[in-house]
Amino acid sequence: MIILDSESNVPLYLQLRTQIMEAIVRGELAKGDTLPSVRGLAGDLGINMHTVNKSYHELESKGIIEIVPKKGAVIIADTEKHASKKQYENLGEELRPVVAEGLVCGLNEEDLHQLISNIISKIKEV
Amino acid sequence: MDMEFIVFFLTILFVGALQIFIPFIAKRSVVFGVSIPYDQVKHPQVIQYKKSYAIITAIFTLASLAGLILLVQRQNINEAQLALVGVVFPFVILLVGLSLYFYFHYKIAKLKQTKNWFGAVKQVHYADLKIRSKDEMLASFVYLIPVIISLGLIILTVNLYDQLPSQIPTHWGPNGQADAFSDKSWMVAFGMPITLILMQFMFYGINIFTKRSGIKINAGNVKSSELRQLRLRKYTSWFLLLVDVLITLLFAILHLNLLYENIISDLLMMLAPVCLLVIVLAGSVWLAVKVGRLDSDFEGKEIIEDSNSIKIEGIDEDKYWIGGLFYFNRNDPSVFVEKRFGVGFTINFANPIGYLILIVPIILIIIIPILF
Repeated sequence: MIILDSESNVPLYLQLRTQIMEAIVRGELAKGDTLPSVRGLAGDLGINMHTVNKSYHELESKGIIEIVPKKGAVIIADTEKHASKKQYENLGEELRPVVAEGLVCGLNEEDLHQLISNIISKIKEV
Repeated sequence: MDMEFIVFFLTILFVGALQIFIPFIAKRSVVFGVSIPYDQVKHPQVIQYKKSYAIITAIFTLASLAGLILLVQRQNINEAQLALVGVVFPFVILLVGLSLYFYFHYKIAKLKQTKNWFGAVKQVHYADLKIRSKDEMLASFVYLIPVIISLGLIILTVNLYDQLPSQIPTHWGPNGQADAFSDKSWMVAFGMPITLILMQFMFYGINIFTKRSGIKINAGNVKSSELRQLRLRKYTSWFLLLVDVLITLLFAILHLNLLYENIISDLLMMLAPVCLLVIVLAGSVWLAVKVGRLDSDFEGKEIIEDSNSIKIEGIDEDKYWIGGLFYFNRNDPSVFVEKRFGVGFTINFANPIGYLILIVPIILIIIIPILF
């Protein structure tokens, strides 16, 4: 299930990318499943094919899906397997500004841990 | 005279009944081609407009039927006059329906704007990543199976060409008998099977592009809108196959009659086109009933209130629908989308493939008679 908010400040392709990842976390999609074709998903959502394409390429660069000719976008992410060193480093880099912003806003380390736990349970409960 | 009267009577009845029911079998979140949020579908004004539309079209239908009966009872009416009436009346009903459509389209659009119906809801794009595993449209190659019959006809024609008469029928009257002929030539002899193959490939193409088109689900009512989309796709593909097979049979009968001089009985020649028409009409009613009772006023069920504080709805797509009838959305790669007023598909006019599908048959219809 994908729900994209057209009035959000977050671009559609980022929303789509995030929601596909969340679907994998929840187990709705598993390793080896294929995502719909770019044309098909764009048609279902009624959004531009470039938007869907951009999301798929982001997921590919993160090592979550693999775009196989003729077969489509296949999920290669494995939630059981530990992240690679590179993935770990990338995550750290992306999280850094958010953590900095939290600290500037007066959150302490425990608050940040709490925040992350809340987000995890929210992703899993939908 | 009597036979013609029955045909005209049934035509008027069919056209009229279809017009009357359209607002009630259309998606309930789209009223006279205007998107409205699900919590407004029972708005008294909306119901009132639909009722008025049904009552006025019903009056015109009944008046046309009564007019036809009165005309027939006057003994001095000739067949040409009756035929004229039989064509004009359904046309008038369609025109009345269309005028009313535009009137109420404008009314609803204004109501929606003044009440700011979409102001209080959050509009979202919705998709189900697994939906395509539930899609039950027929495989496209199925539409090419009747091509075997066309090829058979071509082979037969090659073998029998020398024995064919010097005049070949190219047009058939309402009684199933040929009423126009052309001098024998390869083009004339093969015109019919070739036209048939073109049509069979057209059906094949339509199914391919329908299959590729988006499965649109409304976030405001996921369950029914999903079911309606899946049924529409499934049953439209069945209906398409039915038409494919029936047209093949009709062409085969006509062509065999040509090859083996009058092998087919006159009765069958007369009944075949009528049967085709009746089956196709019955099929379209069946399609309208099967699909039209979902996510429409016939569904009956009250809309379940969302537990969220802010209600979510599908995107208000009115800006992509010219007059609520013609879809023009450059962002949407779909070639076919569900109609807004009625049951079935319409073309995305922003997609060049859509134009091809619309224009190619028209060009072929113009070109083929010139060639043959």
